[in-house]
Amino acid sequence: MTIFRWAWRALIRAPLRGSLLVGVLAVSIGLALIMITVDGAFAQRLDDIRASVGTDITVRPAGSFGGGVFGFGGPRGGNGPGGALATPTPAPSDADDDSQPTITDDDLQKLTSIPNVASITRVVTDVYQGDTITAGTVTPPGNGGQGGPTFRGPNGQGFSPPIIVTGTDDPNTLSSLATGDTEITSGRSFTTDDAGKNVAVIGQAIADANSLAGGDTFTLNNVSSDGTETGTTTTLTVIGIYSTGTTFGDNGIALPIETERTIFAHTDTVDQAIVKVNNVDNVDQVSNDVKNALGTDKADVTTAESAFTAISSPLSDAKSSSQVGLIAALVASAIIILFSIGIVARQRVREIGILKAIGASNWNVVSQLGIETAFIAIGAALVGAIATFPLAQLVADGLVSDPTTGTGGPATNVGGPGGGGGGFFVAGAGGAANGTNSLLGSVDVAVSPSVFAYALAIALGLALIATVIPAWYVGRVRPAEVLRYE
Amino acid sequence: MNDPEYTAVLANVVKHFKSGPVLVRAVDGVSLQLPRGKMVALRGPSGCGKSTLLNLFGALDRPDSGDIVVDGIDVGRLKGGDEVDYRRRKVGFVFQMFNLMPSLTALENVMLPMELAGGMGPAARKQKAESLLERVKLAPDRYTRRPTRLSGGEQQRVAIARALANDPALILADEPTANLDSTTGGQVISLLRRLADDKRTVVVATHDNSIAQKADVVISMSDGKLMGKWAEEDSEAESARVSS
Ligand SMILES: Nc1ncnc2c1ncn2[C@@H]1O[C@H](COP(=O)(O)OP(=O)(O)O)[C@@H](O)[C@H]1O
Ligand SMILES: [Mg+2]
Repeated sequence: MTIFRWAWRALIRAPLRGSLLVGVLAVSIGLALIMITVDGAFAQRLDDIRASVGTDITVRPAGSFGGGVFGFGGPRGGNGPGGALATPTPAPSDADDDSQPTITDDDLQKLTSIPNVASITRVVTDVYQGDTITAGTVTPPGNGGQGGPTFRGPNGQGFSPPIIVTGTDDPNTLSSLATGDTEITSGRSFTTDDAGKNVAVIGQAIADANSLAGGDTFTLNNVSSDGTETGTTTTLTVIGIYSTGTTFGDNGIALPIETERTIFAHTDTVDQAIVKVNNVDNVDQVSNDVKNALGTDKADVTTAESAFTAISSPLSDAKSSSQVGLIAALVASAIIILFSIGIVARQRVREIGILKAIGASNWNVVSQLGIETAFIAIGAALVGAIATFPLAQLVADGLVSDPTTGTGGPATNVGGPGGGGGGFFVAGAGGAANGTNSLLGSVDVAVSPSVFAYALAIALGLALIATVIPAWYVGRVRPAEVLRYE
Repeated sequence: MNDPEYTAVLANVVKHFKSGPVLVRAVDGVSLQLPRGKMVALRGPSGCGKSTLLNLFGALDRPDSGDIVVDGIDVGRLKGGDEVDYRRRKVGFVFQMFNLMPSLTALENVMLPMELAGGMGPAARKQKAESLLERVKLAPDRYTRRPTRLSGGEQQRVAIARALANDPALILADEPTANLDSTTGGQVISLLRRLADDKRTVVVATHDNSIAQKADVVISMSDGKLMGKWAEEDSEAESARVSS
């Protein structure tokens, strides 16, 4: 206990040196903690995203990808993170000419026997061309230039953005199709009881544009297999309204798949199927099994991994910058600490010599220095840990300063001069970029009290290092050497 | 073991330093006996090896060869705990630069060797430290001051009190007055003189002749070797003659 008293006394009687060391150490410990915290938050967010999309395998008829709704002669919609987020790019039924392979319910039936498949959701998508309902107005992001607030068709005439009608077994699957998170904002989603019934879950934009609320009905014109209207209609009851957070995503109608097939004259083909795998680790195996079962000439099989990569790449970038930051912080800390130790040691070599000359054992000296260092390190750890609370979120926000915003705006202008449908595609990409923004913006850095544990661990580690080196020195120094003067 | 006549016996002690390519023969074959209870002046020009020799006495350094026996202890070959114990109990060092612990008050500096040696309660330590400070004539209002707030003379008095803390038989003072004005230096020398009168062996390294005059024995040193009669082969006979 005498040693503790000596150490404490030495500390408080050199308050400037003490607080300087605490300050310097607190900065480096704080940096390390902030980076650990931010890195953990990013990792958590990535895990969340992976958990939500990571087990999905998308099966599409071979070659259909990119020939979809966004086409209209414009550039393909599948490239880049924005495009990938806007995933639905489904093949409309009118693209189903004879040269295109199709995937049928029978094909999908083969997949049910693949081990580790949790569920298979069929999806059929069509663009509704009828005039019984109108689309909501899409306001493009970065609204400016010739793109204008309304979209222009190939002939330069204004037209409503297409209404995408999706038939599915499970409308929850839409969340993995749409940008951002799909949320049922009123009413309900489908249940198995709704199979084949004339019910619909409609997007917020459709609801607004047509003044539809839960329980209301609307009609869709039935279409024959060659795409012409048959003259008959189907009346659908709104059971729920969803929102994706983007007007574009909300210009859609989800129907039970059988109902959709009836209206659009599909028999047993699907535009895509979502195969859910029971475990992320089995995705590759199942993906291979699916390819083998269907044949690569028949189906394009993509794992959610690629979508995940696209979605998360800005976040991954941020994560790697946070890791770089962490390493930089640690290196900086190490340098600062060694530097401080160097100064302190130099300053204290003489004291060590005196202590040894008057009969202090190596243990006496080292334990006093060690305890002093531990006091300083713990003080610094406390300060650093406390500083982490307000600063970690700031650092995280700084790291996720959105890289897609910059491309979203100008891209919209690109669509204008062409006057063509390209404008629409770009708007979609812009919307998707917005989706990315909100996704990344939601990285919430919860500083857990465990930073104190980390801080303590770092502090004690540092204290140990900062004691071992002097200990080695103290053990071998001869007082005569350090007490010399010329 | 314990020679009643001599506190310390040195035989052929050698300590060389490598200073770059140059070999410095700081102590180069020194043999001598330190008579008990005398004040011995170790005199010689700067760089002749006085400090080195004192450091060897005090186990602050180890000789390359030769024997240093203090009160029967083979100082040159002490290791670990024995070496620490020797520094604590057998010798007290007084330095030119005072070398007080900067974070401790005068009183605490004197108590520190007692704390290191152990075996004394806090109250007893304090009492003894106070009596030692009284003995070196430090004003009581200085007891709780730290070295930075003490004059050089005051610091050196505290250093002497600290050297006496564990009642060592041998006091080693390396140029104790070099950083003091002559009056203060004189007072410090009188203090050391009185210690010798109290039957302690005091070795004072100095290049100051006036200090040497106060000593019972003067040993002259030059280039790592002892001078005059100390330089002769039969140093045992010589020292006996001197000390008588
Ligand atoms: N640790 C050392 N390393 C190198 N040279 C040393 C060392 N200690 C002393 N010396 C040299 O040994 C010689 C004697 O030094 P010292 O004993 O301090 O002399 P004095 O105390 O008589 O002035 C000097 O030349 C000094 O430079
Ligand atoms: Mg000297």
